[in-house]
Amino acid sequence: MLMKLIYGKYRVVSVVGMAKNAGKTVVLNKLIEEAYKKYITLGLTSIGRDGEREDLVTKTEKPVIHVMEGTIIATAQDTILNADARLEILEVTEYRTTLGPIVLCRVKENGLVEIAGPGNNWEIREVAKKMLLYGVDVVLVDGAINRKTAASPEITDATILSTGAVVSRSIDRVLEETAHQVELFGLEKVSNPIILEEAKKLMEKSVIGLVHKNGSSTELNLKTALNAGRIIGGAIEESTEYIVFPGSLVRKTLEDLIAVTPLYKKVTFIVHDGTKIFIAYHDWLKFKRRGVRMQVVEPIQVLAVSVNPYAPQGYEFQPEEFHKKMKDLLRIPVIDVMLEGDDFYE
Amino acid sequence: MAIEKVDLTKLKPYGDTLNDGMTQVSFTLPVSASEEAKEAARRLAMKMGLEDPSVVVMKDMGPGFAFFVIYGSCKETVDFTSIEVPKVEVETMSKKEVEAFIEENIKRTVTIIGACTGSDAHTVGIDAIMNMKGYDGHYGLERYKGMEAYNMGSQVANEDLVAKAIEMNADALLVSQVVTQKDVHIPNLTELIELLEAEGLRNKMVVVCGGPRINHELAKELGYDAGFGTGSYAEDVASFVVDELVKRKLV
Repeated sequence: MLMKLIYGKYRVVSVVGMAKNAGKTVVLNKLIEEAYKKYITLGLTSIGRDGEREDLVTKTEKPVIHVMEGTIIATAQDTILNADARLEILEVTEYRTTLGPIVLCRVKENGLVEIAGPGNNWEIREVAKKMLLYGVDVVLVDGAINRKTAASPEITDATILSTGAVVSRSIDRVLEETAHQVELFGLEKVSNPIILEEAKKLMEKSVIGLVHKNGSSTELNLKTALNAGRIIGGAIEESTEYIVFPGSLVRKTLEDLIAVTPLYKKVTFIVHDGTKIFIAYHDWLKFKRRGVRMQVVEPIQVLAVSVNPYAPQGYEFQPEEFHKKMKDLLRIPVIDVMLEGDDFYE
Repeated sequence: MAIEKVDLTKLKPYGDTLNDGMTQVSFTLPVSASEEAKEAARRLAMKMGLEDPSVVVMKDMGPGFAFFVIYGSCKETVDFTSIEVPKVEVETMSKKEVEAFIEENIKRTVTIIGACTGSDAHTVGIDAIMNMKGYDGHYGLERYKGMEAYNMGSQVANEDLVAKAIEMNADALLVSQVVTQKDVHIPNLTELIELLEAEGLRNKMVVVCGGPRINHELAKELGYDAGFGTGSYAEDVASFVVDELVKRKLV
């Protein structure tokens, strides 16, 4: 069961999706059900909105969220009014959303709820901490649409990635894109402990820095790497071994950087984690072929990939085939919640 | 003339008389104009819930396409009393009031950057909010005292918008999405938020989106602080931004 991968190992786990309608909420419901059977107390929140009956973009019906007694939820005030579960309000937080302030509630009687938690990652992390203090065993954070930054180890300890036919009509494309995301999430950690410390220091200061062979480093006077690829590339010396990016790394930055110097081939690029990289699959392949190497300060623990063979656009993949292809491609558990019994992947 | 009372629990379209349900729809079918095409359009209208539909216009739109306008009576009703739509909860101040609010509560210049992002080249929305002359008698943010408003125009890449925001030390970003196909505005809007998160800026700025397909509820899902639909003016956006800056202690 999915909960087995989490309980006792991770306290805060996110469920993020490759696209809207990839099946995040179905996974969430599965986890809620499993937690209930194992007497695990959950804390639930969502970076977007969950459990509303109708999808806001595609107007398709969405799964509702059924919560059990003892669960703590962090959700916007307006959604509490629609809840059919009986809720006890524990705390009204200072975090604000378009649907009112975030309120922490304990479920007193099983029922349906809608969950709309804080909209930004920093607040999600703070709210998750609060729920742990109220005594929950595991906090689950549901993503929204295709937003994946909640999977950053700065926010959650581990993640489950939801993907599905909704990503593309071509099954190969879905496989490629999903494998690409899993690769980004699982990028190799900086192996040299001295470099790791240096990278962490630079990131804390929000400084782009170059680390050279003799251990010295150069700090660049730039506020961001965005649109600064040429300047960063121009700063690379013969002896440069690493470049540390404290924020994002987007395609254009890297393109500009490698255009100005061939020395990039001797350099390893370091970002905090895979959610900081904004490079699509085909560009990624191109960069790899040209010898770009990338490492992270913290790899993301991807516990499992969930697959949904149905797309709301009105087409579907053969479920067993889709599941098998994904499983053969990735080296982590792949689940189709609708397809499997409880012990399918034990 | 007897005045009929509107039953708000069973609301339906008004044509010539109350509750006649008269509705006009138009669409294109991927077939040439013909009697068969006309009948197909009529049957489709019936399936849409229109009673006694009549096809009043059929026009060829080039080979293999025909355009239709149809009238019919709508059978369906909605319960108006049960409808609740989350809206931006801030009292709209006038331009003068916003300026006074900035002077009193923020005490410095508020920097706002606007852009029409992604592939969208339709700047009517962002121009109406940002530009000096404004729209419909409502001056744009560029004219506000205590505000530095910078309009980046159309087809702005998210990374350029974020880079500009960092360069100008922006307090708020306004993103407009007017015409998009196949919901590309959705991943485009979420990408901006993801980029701001990656740059560690999301909780340091007020980020607002607007456009005909945007509402306040969707904005939450997308990760924005507010969503403004059609019919919003510069003072609505300005009021929200300055109020939010103070409430989030970003002054």
